Amino acid sequence: MGAIRNWSKEILLFLMALLFLSPIYIIFVNSFKTRQELYENTLALPEQFGLQFYSAAMEQMDFFNAFINSMYVTIVSVAFIVVLSSMTAWMLARSGNWISNVIFMTMIATMLIPFQTIMMPLMQLVTGITQDTGIPLYNTLSGLIFMNIGFHAALSVFLYHGFIKSIPLSLEEAATIDGASKFGVFWRIIFPMLTPITATVAILNVILIWNDFLLPSLTLIDKDLRTIPLSVFYFFGEFTIEWNLAMAGLTLTIIPVVIFYMLAQKYIIKGIGEGAVK
Amino acid sequence: MANRKKIGWYLLFTVPLLIIFTIIVVIPFVIGIYYAFFDWDGIGANPMVFTGLENFRILLEDERFLSSTWLTVLFTVLSVVSVNIAGLAFALLVTSKLKMANLARTMLFMPYLIGGLILGYIWQFVFLDVFTLIGEVTGLESVFFNWLNNEQFALFALVFVFTWQMAGYVMIVYIAGIQGIPGELIEAAKIDGAGSWQRFLRITVPLLMPAFTISLFLTLSYGFKIYDVNLSLTGGGPANATELFAMNIYNEIFGYGNYGYGQAKAIVFFIIIAAITLTQVYLTKKREVEM
Amino acid sequence: MAFNKRLVMGMAIAASASVLAACGGGGDGEESGGSSGEAADGITIFQSKVEISEQLEAAAEAYTEETGVDVEVIGTTGDDYAQQLQIRLNNGTGPSIFSVQNTEVAERLESYIYDLSNEDMVENIAPDMELTLDDKVVGIPYGVEGFGIVYNKEMVNPEDIQDYDSFVSTLEKFNAEGINGFGLSSEAYFLIGHISNYPFSLQENPEEFMDQLTNGEVTLAETEEFQRFGEFMEAIRANTPTPLNTTYDTQVGDFAAGQTAMIHQGNWASGMLEDFEVDFEVGMAPFPLEGNDQLAVGVGSNWAVNGEKDQAEIDAAIEFLDWLHTSETGQKFIVEDFGFIPAMTNIEAGDLDPLSQAVLEASNSGNTIPWSHNDYPANVVPNDFTPVAESFFVDDSMTGEELVENLEAAWQNAAQ
Repeated sequence: MGAIRNWSKEILLFLMALLFLSPIYIIFVNSFKTRQELYENTLALPEQFGLQFYSAAMEQMDFFNAFINSMYVTIVSVAFIVVLSSMTAWMLARSGNWISNVIFMTMIATMLIPFQTIMMPLMQLVTGITQDTGIPLYNTLSGLIFMNIGFHAALSVFLYHGFIKSIPLSLEEAATIDGASKFGVFWRIIFPMLTPITATVAILNVILIWNDFLLPSLTLIDKDLRTIPLSVFYFFGEFTIEWNLAMAGLTLTIIPVVIFYMLAQKYIIKGIGEGAVK
Repeated sequence: MANRKKIGWYLLFTVPLLIIFTIIVVIPFVIGIYYAFFDWDGIGANPMVFTGLENFRILLEDERFLSSTWLTVLFTVLSVVSVNIAGLAFALLVTSKLKMANLARTMLFMPYLIGGLILGYIWQFVFLDVFTLIGEVTGLESVFFNWLNNEQFALFALVFVFTWQMAGYVMIVYIAGIQGIPGELIEAAKIDGAGSWQRFLRITVPLLMPAFTISLFLTLSYGFKIYDVNLSLTGGGPANATELFAMNIYNEIFGYGNYGYGQAKAIVFFIIIAAITLTQVYLTKKREVEM
Repeated sequence: MAFNKRLVMGMAIAASASVLAACGGGGDGEESGGSSGEAADGITIFQSKVEISEQLEAAAEAYTEETGVDVEVIGTTGDDYAQQLQIRLNNGTGPSIFSVQNTEVAERLESYIYDLSNEDMVENIAPDMELTLDDKVVGIPYGVEGFGIVYNKEMVNPEDIQDYDSFVSTLEKFNAEGINGFGLSSEAYFLIGHISNYPFSLQENPEEFMDQLTNGEVTLAETEEFQRFGEFMEAIRANTPTPLNTTYDTQVGDFAAGQTAMIHQGNWASGMLEDFEVDFEVGMAPFPLEGNDQLAVGVGSNWAVNGEKDQAEIDAAIEFLDWLHTSETGQKFIVEDFGFIPAMTNIEAGDLDPLSQAVLEASNSGNTIPWSHNDYPANVVPNDFTPVAESFFVDDSMTGEELVENLEAAWQNAAQ
């Protein structure tokens, strides 16, 4: 009896996920269709699963170069974000004074600012810094990384902050009495306990940064520096979109993130059980 | 002495991030506020005329702005509810002991992996082709038609697509929260004879309060700021029925070339939203259970 | 860690210094950008027509090979070109060459646009096709483009669409047969932007008329051409499926499949028609408002040179444009690779598709009406006209007269 119920639940869950996923089917099948086929039916399977649009897309996008740029920007940005924002969040959460509260509230308030309203002053500032001081923030990957850290700091601190609040204080206090420095306490005891939320923060930031178009399009000029989304958008004309190439490019774009997500999610799931309740 | 050391650690931990954050976010925002007091088209070489509070005054008479504000609020409220219900439901399902849970977790999260711009285009196909097809086949044409051309339904279409995109996102926040609930508590409640619904209400929900705080805030802020899906799915149409706030500012600044006025709108809206969301955070935080 | 901290500290100091500079200087701060001479030995191009991005890069490479001058083409998507250009100009990283769609945009960017009046290539521009600002030539046209009624020669006889009555009876005939007689599509310019040209362009002096309209000296509702235009739009709405369910792709697709007899489009659609492998002949006919028998021909975009750059870069930019429009290689790129119908008298048109051929012939004979939408208030089409047109097509109770009144209100909203 119970087994049957479980099975039906399994199937139900699978069907639901499948239904949920179905629009992605549209991306996939249309990456194999000519404009003619696409017009005739958006939903039907393509006449053939040839890879010609994929190879054309890869070539036009200069895929491998763009891929390496995207990887570099994403990995370095996320590493910095995780390190810096977990430290900041821990201090803000634990010190409990009014300055911390003000900083924390300011940070989350800035998450409400639409990017469009700060992009012009930001670009003036960034090029100003580049020209006046020689620190190359504009038109470099490091500059983009620097900006990514700034933009995603608030979200990450917010996520860490919420999680840290739920960790029992007693664990830290014991370690502090042992005479470990704050630095030691944080990296040896706190940070490992944060694994699930670190995985969450990393996943969300990887996706945001990997898919980001607006910021790189404003800050990067050289063709060699283009990230994947910048290259994909070459298929989007003013009125016409080369759907087959765009869909193929898009599929190429999301595959790495899907793989990353599948690898990372097990850390979310293992979770706090291992970290805290030793 | 000890105090000074404490301050030292405090600075070491927080200052690096705060400096970057200040340069990239705070300072540009403040410069933006400064522009709100000028009549300026955003072209550096063209004259900037100081007009004081004039921009803020016209804003109260700008009907397109006011209706866009109302639409944004409506959109956000609907979205926050639907995204969080869907996200929490997904999270509960995929953390159960089902074999499909792992696979489902990935599949449910997939929509978020696609940028909002593309997503809007894809859903245009769905509303245009799939919805009309379903309508014809089932005869339910009053429900399944191209929502995007109907002034009321276009907004629902936006909520629908936004939910589809974001449910997987808040799902992973809820998963982290659910995983954080000590198994012993649930076991203990079981032994005490609590039913599954009771366990959910009495144990899961209170302990999920931090996750609620985060998820509600995230959906609120994303909802208020939504731009890309709005642009690619409806473009603000039909007849401005879905011109949400970010798009309204964007059109003001880059469409009409009223940079200063656009900034003034942005600031007013920011203040309203900040007030609402910070209240939300404060309220839900208060209900969090300290462990 | 320590390294990182030092880096961050350094940046903070640097940043606060430059913030002070930026605030203190206000609008003048940008000038320093123009003279940062790192690009003096190369030029950058930023332009809005995504369709030629790749070909332009190839042209740039060819130029670099010939002359050794480095040309960087900055990528764009059509949608956010204007915004990105504005940001780049403002922060001093503006391109040396950029595209300017029309007079309206040129006026806004006036302070950045270099006066090209004395350059040799300007003499070769076809009559009235140059972009001018106060008698100065400021833009070199990409090429000419034209739009009108694109029709299927097997289904439509151009004699049947020469005035209101015949046009409407043709629509009615197709409607009875279950064929879409006249297709518009939902994109702003394809829905209302282009078609709204006719009543303006048929005025004796369209530009003067638009000025009078802005000043309130004339009203659309009392102007004959607009009254007729309203009637045309009503007839189109009554006899064809709503264009709001149609994208440019499906509009052209339906036409290619024979499900639509006529569409309102321009010669740019021929590329897509080729993709659809149409097996019938197509033609382009004038839209018969008030018996109009001329195609609307104009310039889609223009090359402009950034006058804020130092003289060396300006000269280099002009040399590149000169090469593009006078050298054999450059002209070949324009005609064959970009696929433009040249707007220069010294460039031979290549093998043209039928639609472009029709436009070229009209343009050569001078038998054209102008593109008035190039003189509309900035962004009035997507921001103001489109919502009006959308509600016209959604709401059957709105009359053509009301459509015209609403368009007028939209105009006033954008023109102030």
